[in-house]
Amino acid sequence: MAMNPMEQFEVKPILQQPLLHIGGHDIYFTNQALFMCVVVAAVTLFLTLAMSRGRLVPSRTQSMAELSYEFVAGMIRSTTGEDGLVFFPFVFAIFMFVLFSNFLGLIPGAFTVTSQIAVTFALAAVVMLTVIVTGFVVHGLGFFKLFVPKAPFLLLILLVPIEIISFLTRLVSLSVRLFANMLAGHTMLQVFASFVIALGATGGILSLLSITPMFMIIFIGALEMLVAFLQAYVFAILTCIYLNEALHLHEHH
Amino acid sequence: MVPPAFEPRREMFNGKAGSRLHMPPPKPDDLQRLGERIDEAERQRSQRTKPAPAMSSSGIAFRFATEMVSALLVGGGLGWGIDWAFDHWSHLQTRPWGMVVMVVLGAAAGIRNVMAAAKEINAEMAKKDVEK
Repeated sequence: MAMNPMEQFEVKPILQQPLLHIGGHDIYFTNQALFMCVVVAAVTLFLTLAMSRGRLVPSRTQSMAELSYEFVAGMIRSTTGEDGLVFFPFVFAIFMFVLFSNFLGLIPGAFTVTSQIAVTFALAAVVMLTVIVTGFVVHGLGFFKLFVPKAPFLLLILLVPIEIISFLTRLVSLSVRLFANMLAGHTMLQVFASFVIALGATGGILSLLSITPMFMIIFIGALEMLVAFLQAYVFAILTCIYLNEALHLHEHH
Repeated sequence: MVPPAFEPRREMFNGKAGSRLHMPPPKPDDLQRLGERIDEAERQRSQRTKPAPAMSSSGIAFRFATEMVSALLVGGGLGWGIDWAFDHWSHLQTRPWGMVVMVVLGAAAGIRNVMAAAKEINAEMAKKDVEK
């Protein structure tokens, strides 16, 4: 019986033959790649099926799809204003991808894509690149003003590097927050599940005690549902906040 | 005055369509009030802001921890990179001073981030208190 709680995060190739050879590296089709495809397919299927028969009075699935649309649109409006809606497809895609991979990962036996720092870091990198490109397109070189707070000149020598570091920090904190939450939750579930098996196997009166970690699993499972949604929300709203800064610099401060 | 949203339907209510449906023609007052309500609802809809899900105290603690740690990591990483670059491309020996300076600056950036996060969370909580 596998008791290693970290085993669920192992990335393994599914097809034994490598798909591609790039620069001396073999690129395999892994369980991670498979579940990323599953997530994208699930999002696409959900949205197209829900909206295929668009009715004025929506069915349940249709209203779920409309709700997610409204939710993201409201989020962008409240953080960046109407002109931020240009980024709606971007933010919506990120939100749905993170939300679906968090929730699909909760299915027992499924692989959680967002529990890999490589995935969350890549997502965060895409967000930060978009922010930087947007900033330079909208403001030109004036985007550098983001790193110059209002302060006497001598202090700026110290403050500008601090601002630059704290800008780069977002890349790390954005990816680590999602990754750590997912990793911690799933590890905790697995650890409590192994308690159930271990207690059950001891026999005698202790076997009856194995019911207590079971309740714990139910509780943590419910908590993980909340975390799965909350982390997708946090990732999306931070994206909006950073985009807002790129669009409007410090106007709102 | 009937609000513009009602213009096409007014004819239906006042004219022949209304009698065909055996509906009593509504008073203009009612129509106007309904139109005002729809306009009001549409205005609110465009301004509506979604309430953020409440943050638990452990969530706040985790947020502060990640802000601080990631700033230190970024500072340390940049410092290490600077030292490496000087070592690799020039004859200057900066090691370990690049890393020392950047870790201290990273700590400063981390504290700044935590303060910004605290301000943000405070503002959110104050807004929620006002709404209550």
